Amino acid sequence: MEWIGLLNYAVFMAIFICIYGLLALGLNIQWGFSGLFNAGIAGFFAVGAYTSAILTTPEADGRIGGFDMPVPVGWAGAMLLAAAIAWPIGKICLRFRSDYLAIASIGVAEIIRLVIKSEDWLTNSARGVTNIPRPFGDLPYAQSQLAYLALVGGVLFVAYLLVERQIAAPWGRMMRAIRDNELAARAMGKDVPFRRLEAFVFGAALMGLGGALFAHLNRAITPEAIDPMVATFLVWIMLILGGSGNNRGAILGVAVVWVIWSFSEILTDQFPPEIAIKAKYIRIFLIGLMLQLVLRFRPEGILPEPQRGVSGKKDS
Amino acid sequence: MDFMELLNFYIVPGLVLGSIYALGAVGITLVFAILRYAHLAHGDIATLGAFIAFAAVTLLGLPVYAALPVAMVVTAFAAVGIDRLFYDYLRERPRIVTVMASLGVALMVRSVVQVIWGVDAESYIRGIARPENWWGIRLKDREIVTILSMIGLVLALQLFLMKTKWGKAMRAMSDNPNLALLSGVDNGKVVFLTWLIVGGLCAASGFFLGLNTELKSMMGWQMLLPMFAAAILGGVGRIEGAVLGGLIVGVAEEVSVIFLPSEYKAATAFAILLLMLLVRPTGLLRGKVL
Amino acid sequence: MKNVRLALAGALLGATALAAPAQADVKIGLLGGVSGPIAAMAPAMIDSAQLAIQQVNDQGGILNGEKLVPVVGDSACNPQNATDAATKAVNIEGVIAIVGPHCSGAVLAAANSVAVPAGVVIITPSGTSPEISKLDDKDLVFRTVPSDDFQGRALARTLLERGTNKVAVAYLNNDYGKGLAEAFKVEFEDKGGEIAGFAAHEEGKASYRSDLAELADGGADTLVIFDYGDGAGLTMLRQALENGFFENFVGGDGMKSDAPIKELGAENLTTFTASSPVGAQSEALEVFNEAFKGVGGDPDAIFVTTSYDAAFLAALAIEKAGGDKAKVAEALRSVSDGKGETILPGEWQKAKELIAAGTDIDYKGAAGDHDFDELGDVPGVYALFKVQDGAFVVDTEMK
Repeated sequence: MEWIGLLNYAVFMAIFICIYGLLALGLNIQWGFSGLFNAGIAGFFAVGAYTSAILTTPEADGRIGGFDMPVPVGWAGAMLLAAAIAWPIGKICLRFRSDYLAIASIGVAEIIRLVIKSEDWLTNSARGVTNIPRPFGDLPYAQSQLAYLALVGGVLFVAYLLVERQIAAPWGRMMRAIRDNELAARAMGKDVPFRRLEAFVFGAALMGLGGALFAHLNRAITPEAIDPMVATFLVWIMLILGGSGNNRGAILGVAVVWVIWSFSEILTDQFPPEIAIKAKYIRIFLIGLMLQLVLRFRPEGILPEPQRGVSGKKDS
Repeated sequence: MDFMELLNFYIVPGLVLGSIYALGAVGITLVFAILRYAHLAHGDIATLGAFIAFAAVTLLGLPVYAALPVAMVVTAFAAVGIDRLFYDYLRERPRIVTVMASLGVALMVRSVVQVIWGVDAESYIRGIARPENWWGIRLKDREIVTILSMIGLVLALQLFLMKTKWGKAMRAMSDNPNLALLSGVDNGKVVFLTWLIVGGLCAASGFFLGLNTELKSMMGWQMLLPMFAAAILGGVGRIEGAVLGGLIVGVAEEVSVIFLPSEYKAATAFAILLLMLLVRPTGLLRGKVL
Repeated sequence: MKNVRLALAGALLGATALAAPAQADVKIGLLGGVSGPIAAMAPAMIDSAQLAIQQVNDQGGILNGEKLVPVVGDSACNPQNATDAATKAVNIEGVIAIVGPHCSGAVLAAANSVAVPAGVVIITPSGTSPEISKLDDKDLVFRTVPSDDFQGRALARTLLERGTNKVAVAYLNNDYGKGLAEAFKVEFEDKGGEIAGFAAHEEGKASYRSDLAELADGGADTLVIFDYGDGAGLTMLRQALENGFFENFVGGDGMKSDAPIKELGAENLTTFTASSPVGAQSEALEVFNEAFKGVGGDPDAIFVTTSYDAAFLAALAIEKAGGDKAKVAEALRSVSDGKGETILPGEWQKAKELIAAGTDIDYKGAAGDHDFDELGDVPGVYALFKVQDGAFVVDTEMK
């Protein structure tokens, strides 16, 4: 009995790790390989989640749709719309460098969040979209969770392979060149703004897919899920902790941060019940402290970016 | 709507709010200018400052305004301590690592506030204060103090940066760190001074926010995004720009209610920011491009 | 990927080491938004649920004298943390019922992806969204707080009866505020009232004066606030009073909080009334108030009565079901179906004896009778409270 519970918990964590893994991969393309400081992850996450939700839910009163389409159509739609939204945003914002881009993208994400939270006809406003179909949702609890894990695990694996291939290809080399020395890349005749936009849109599509997977997992999506803390900053911590510029590092970072996040609660539950609520605040403190410790001892990330293509120089 | 109504219910509250934003934005812009990263713990350190002032009022029995300098000094040293403990050793690393560290600090500071002071809404002065009429303009004492203190603090900071040796060193670090280091500026001292000032300003913004509304454990975090918008709007690294940005964001939020559904009030700061970045990517007053 | 597996294996090992529950205990999950946007409300809600559990343990324990143990989880008012906390409660701690989470979005996610598939009853004391009624929940999702519809409409009728027929409405832009405001608006206008201003606001802003000025422009002298009395609602009430924007203030149950009295002073709140659910037998509320004061709680805090009732009902249902998880839902309906011997808050021993004797019982809670309908919702009975001598007292019953 006991081990089944633990297994269920592990499966749940793994599902979350896969979903956030997609977000971290998307961010890695943007920041890790292209140096784009996108702090609006929550916006693309939200667009993906709501697009897929609206496409796949049955007809509902008071809001657009639902269109009752198959789940894969919803996921494709999520990626497409997230990419489509990223295009004009990137077109406008990517000419700002670093911190300006960060605040501009946070701003866009906040505006998207407010629209989702306020517009009845589009997203059912604050109440959110429910009745989202979940693949394998009819199976019993443990089986359904396992099946969903297999699905999101498969999606993450495919995404990982695609990104790895792209990064190893000349495209990836070019992106790193642009990131590390924009002037030189420009002098080599690379269309820097266009390439950046490519990376931005590609990353946003993965974030949209992550949002869609999250909405289908919970069969519901509400504006609370797209709070900047849990949908933007958390992903950044994961990427930087895991190792930006390294896809495996990004996924590992997700796992480490979720384990810290979730486990800290089990730890603080050991405090006497009289301070059960204070223990939750202490938990947040512990999360912050553990992040500091990882940064202290692995400031370059747990798996740093490999030194690619430098012959004769050993990986350190 | 007549002019006095616009002034009393939209512009004046906007200026008071803007002064609070401005105090926070000046700190953010200083960190940007001298240390060159986005400091995400800014809001929560402001909360800490507000609650330290609260402790000074309730435990030491100080009058409310006397609690402000106490809170500024204590928070200033707390900020220096945070820098020593969590940011200092990351200085040689990519700046994004420090940004993440500051996010961790934000969580830690907030939980310290919640453990010590709990999560209930508190206020410095119980009860309500009705505004007085100054030639048709309705103002409360505390609002006048808020605006005047903001102006005073910023002027003092400007004087310090312009006239004193260490102020000049800070400006030199901001303009050209390599040249400054070559000329013998003590980097450690500059960082120390920066955090003293930033911590003090944080406490002031938290104090005035608490004075004009209530003290809540999430209050600073909720102010963070508009403060950042104000700092960038004014031009990164420009003190007077941050003040201007703060006031514009504050007034724009209040006035937006006339034109937009009020649930979009929070979006106003960003809409203005995006528009401004399109027209003038360096901010209103020419800031540095980092 | 290997590293991921390693990390997971580590997680599993760690969990095994930490989770060593004493088998004799019966566990119940208390999930709440301890961190996050409703951090100010959650502690009192969890404390009142703890009071119910303490009473159970003081009066002979549950089932065969076993201890009822609360497992407090932080749902942080978002789906990510709520599902995480619910998964831990169900799978690691093995709870057989969950009280919470507090926010509707968290309830939807925790119910859909954890509690309903795992067959665990979930009773939310504060998730007011109508979407919760629509869940395909295998009859496992309940709530002790009435859907917004009841309260919004009842408040509209009461105001009209009292002769207030022109109001402005300010509501918090979330499912709670919006649900109440819309129900109120429909009923108020249907019955001939005039809404002279209707605007949402975001939480956590420092100034709402322009919002208030805009609302006051409509010419109403009564402002209806659907918000939380220790959040933006407090700021709004303060700024409205300070600037003299309205004369009368009416709030929903979220505004019946001690924070306005504490921060603004009772003397300034003479024109402030707030609706809140009460039991048909108002003595149930008094019994609860005394008990909660006895453990240092504040009975005027928001949603404490519904939280207490949710926890007490969960305990009664577990007792009635004999500790069988699969029967808890059915038992929950039968201990509160309006038929049988009346049980008031805190009467655990009496309830336990009656259940053992096979007598039907009916819990009459502090926040209402909780006769669940087929969707797991409760109809609300409300009263309008006013501030007197620094505390809330019933002003009028509402129909």
